Amino acid sequence: MDRSQADVAATALVAALACGAAASGAPTAAMTVLGIMLFAAPGYLLGQLLVGSRTAGLERVAVMAGLALAVPVLGGLLLYAVGVPLHRPGWLGLLAGVTLAGDVVLFLRRRAGRAAPFSWQPAWRVPRWQAAAFAAAVLVAAGAVGLARIGAAIQPQPGFTQLWLSPQQQKAHILSFGVTNDQGGTTSYRLVLLLNGQTSATWNLTLVNGQTWQRWVSFTGKYALTANLYRLPDLTHPYRYVSTGSTKAAGS
Amino acid sequence: MTAAGESIGRRPAAYREPGRPADTSAARSRLPVSVVALSAATGVLVVAAAYTAGHLGHAGASWADHMYWLGQLLILIPVAARLLSRRALVASETVTIVVVLTVAEYLVKVCYSPAAFTYADELMHWRTATDIVQTGKLFTPNNLLPISPYYPGLEEVTSALASITGLSIFTSGLIVAGAAHLLFVCVLFVLFRYVSGSHRIAGVALLLYSSESLFQSFDSMFVYQTLALPFLGLTVLAVYRLAAPRAAGGRAGWFTLAALSAFATVVTHHVTSYLLVATLEVVTLGALVARDRRLVAWASILALVSAAAFAAWIVFVAPWTVGYLQPVIEGALQGFRALLTGGHPGAPPPASAANGPLENQALSAAAVLIMSVLVPVGWWQVWRRYRHQAWTAALAIGAVSWYVIVAVRLFVANGSELAGRASTFVFVPAGFIAALAVIRLTDNSLRWPVIRADVRRRAPVVVAVAVVAALVLVLNGLVNGWPPYWERLPGPYQVAGAERSVGPEQVASADWALAVLGPGNRFATDEGDMPVLGSYGDQNTVGDDGYLYTSPAFTQAATQQVQAQSIGYVLVDQRLSEMLPASGQYFPVDPNAGEYTRPLPLADLTKFNHVPGVARIYDSGNIVIYDLKGSAYYGP
Repeated sequence: MDRSQADVAATALVAALACGAAASGAPTAAMTVLGIMLFAAPGYLLGQLLVGSRTAGLERVAVMAGLALAVPVLGGLLLYAVGVPLHRPGWLGLLAGVTLAGDVVLFLRRRAGRAAPFSWQPAWRVPRWQAAAFAAAVLVAAGAVGLARIGAAIQPQPGFTQLWLSPQQQKAHILSFGVTNDQGGTTSYRLVLLLNGQTSATWNLTLVNGQTWQRWVSFTGKYALTANLYRLPDLTHPYRYVSTGSTKAAGS
Repeated sequence: MTAAGESIGRRPAAYREPGRPADTSAARSRLPVSVVALSAATGVLVVAAAYTAGHLGHAGASWADHMYWLGQLLILIPVAARLLSRRALVASETVTIVVVLTVAEYLVKVCYSPAAFTYADELMHWRTATDIVQTGKLFTPNNLLPISPYYPGLEEVTSALASITGLSIFTSGLIVAGAAHLLFVCVLFVLFRYVSGSHRIAGVALLLYSSESLFQSFDSMFVYQTLALPFLGLTVLAVYRLAAPRAAGGRAGWFTLAALSAFATVVTHHVTSYLLVATLEVVTLGALVARDRRLVAWASILALVSAAAFAAWIVFVAPWTVGYLQPVIEGALQGFRALLTGGHPGAPPPASAANGPLENQALSAAAVLIMSVLVPVGWWQVWRRYRHQAWTAALAIGAVSWYVIVAVRLFVANGSELAGRASTFVFVPAGFIAALAVIRLTDNSLRWPVIRADVRRRAPVVVAVAVVAALVLVLNGLVNGWPPYWERLPGPYQVAGAERSVGPEQVASADWALAVLGPGNRFATDEGDMPVLGSYGDQNTVGDDGYLYTSPAFTQAATQQVQAQSIGYVLVDQRLSEMLPASGQYFPVDPNAGEYTRPLPLADLTKFNHVPGVARIYDSGNIVIYDLKGSAYYGP
């Protein structure tokens, strides 16, 4: 294959590499690069086939980008219609399939002289110092996004603790009973379960930030259940409480 | 044919790029495009610093607010000055400046919520995309925005990118939305350049287009319209190419591109599909006026194809579209009817402006005035120079819509939101026609007798006036767009505060609801918690539920409404008793919107603790969830 078909070879290679990388469980960074190239490949080829290489500059890029976005939109519908799940294999098959089909058609059209050969001519040259300024702009912009991410991450948020006592979906007679600590640090609690106002069980819990403690409680609906959660060392005022039925709970 | 295809189609014979000495390479600007890009990037950095200050508790500080506007000016002033300057800009430089403006403003939007989607509409589409990724199927019901799964284009692209790359839906969504937004701007530039024959006019038209109030927000958000817009643009571009005397690439190819783009538009967004048909009809009208038979034929054919695809989609896939759009259309029509018959249109006249501080209203009025003056001047230019050019005639006809949305904004009930949403489309023709006026006024000013005597001294003044006018327009778009003044900077929690109502505790309660209660339960909730509960929690939220939160005790009257609305759970955010709603309304449907003078009484919110049979099933401190099923709300 000579240089006039270099783009055909490159896009076919991208499709093969992306599928191979996905099959071998390549890391996200590698899949991101290959995935974005695989997204672009069908748009490039369809652009070449539909409007030829006689369009140029921004219009050419725009047409190809638009086609690249249209392929998953319309192709996804086709996949769904024929019952292919829209997971990674389905999407890879669609994009790689369109890419390889486009490669074959473009290759044959060029062989028949019905499509222009591939050529690469940079549209314009940028002076070095301008290129340096553009590169600096990209770095500054990336820094801005990084700063914004840090700002959002370090925003002070009030800690909280979740307590729940609830029938589960489709299991009304089993109550999900749990505590999650989101206070921002390790926290100690005492959890007291009351059955018709009488203490039924007590747990002393120490949960690290983000940790969940959970149990399941049988529930017939014939008695009232209340759970009071105390944040140690305060054992007089419930920090959180939940209840089933109409009993007036401790924290009310 | 040039590299950029300048010779394709009918170039307007009258207009040429200014060929005076000021536009030659000898008079190149001292402000290179790379410096404009560096200034814009610095502006984004300064805005990001202001946002960080907001995150750290200084959202209400005037210095943080000033820092935000300083960043915006670092982006806007060099861009506007360079585009409006009479010094030479080659086409590639103009494109670069337009791209710099678009990318910079998009990054400002990204920096506002850099870790997760927080805007309500974005959360709605995040839910649909998440459903596709998780189930591998389309059309999974979305309780928050039921119509969204039936226009899945955006979510298909996003889920494909997320599935293949392993990136999160949030990151994939940012990439897709950003690419789509930039693509739309680039397609507009190409179209404007072809129609005007001038990259300078195209650049100024894009600068004016960026002043529409949703450019930096809704039009670049992770919402279905963002992706549908470039498909609409590509369809119109393909029609331009089809109707050109020599269609580069062959008509079959351009027609296929037009059809694919039209279908993609239909699959992606309902209103944009409708407006695609309307756009092609206006192009047909312009072609009829200019007696361009080829354009009449192609625009009509593509309008028919688009309309047929849209109709088929509604009939066979998304019949709920009619019911979704009907209330909005009927509301607008009622307002117009009332206006035309002399009745009360249903809203105090300046309803939109009344929502902001006085300076915002003044800026809004100035921007409306500037555009309203520029458009007739642009029409005059069209009449003088372009009236036999079909595309310019079509844009001139389309620019009439500018005055329609001004009327809607002023006189129609809830017209502010309708006009705002319409501005995305209205500013395409209005921006172009206004650009003709701006270019003509700045160039022709050198011929005014009073100025001719001292051209060198006065010319910069005229350009400076144009830059200031453009800045007024763009700043108005930012000031009166999104985010609103009460959450200009991100910061701590606000009741009914849109993005500032999205926090870890809300997300945790929503995640809990989905995990324990399952999806699709009928939930009463407030304005601020609804988007999170409906997206992260996948719950079926009720909009008209204020009665549950604004009575001090259980009432029999409430039982009927609860049962009629099939409300199973009530989420109570007790901070509703601590703050007034930032947006003016506590609930999605709130008859008392804008009239609250004190927060809701705590007793109104905690009464559920004492209602017989109501179970208090979740408590995270600020947020409590009650189970109403089996309670007095459903009978004794």
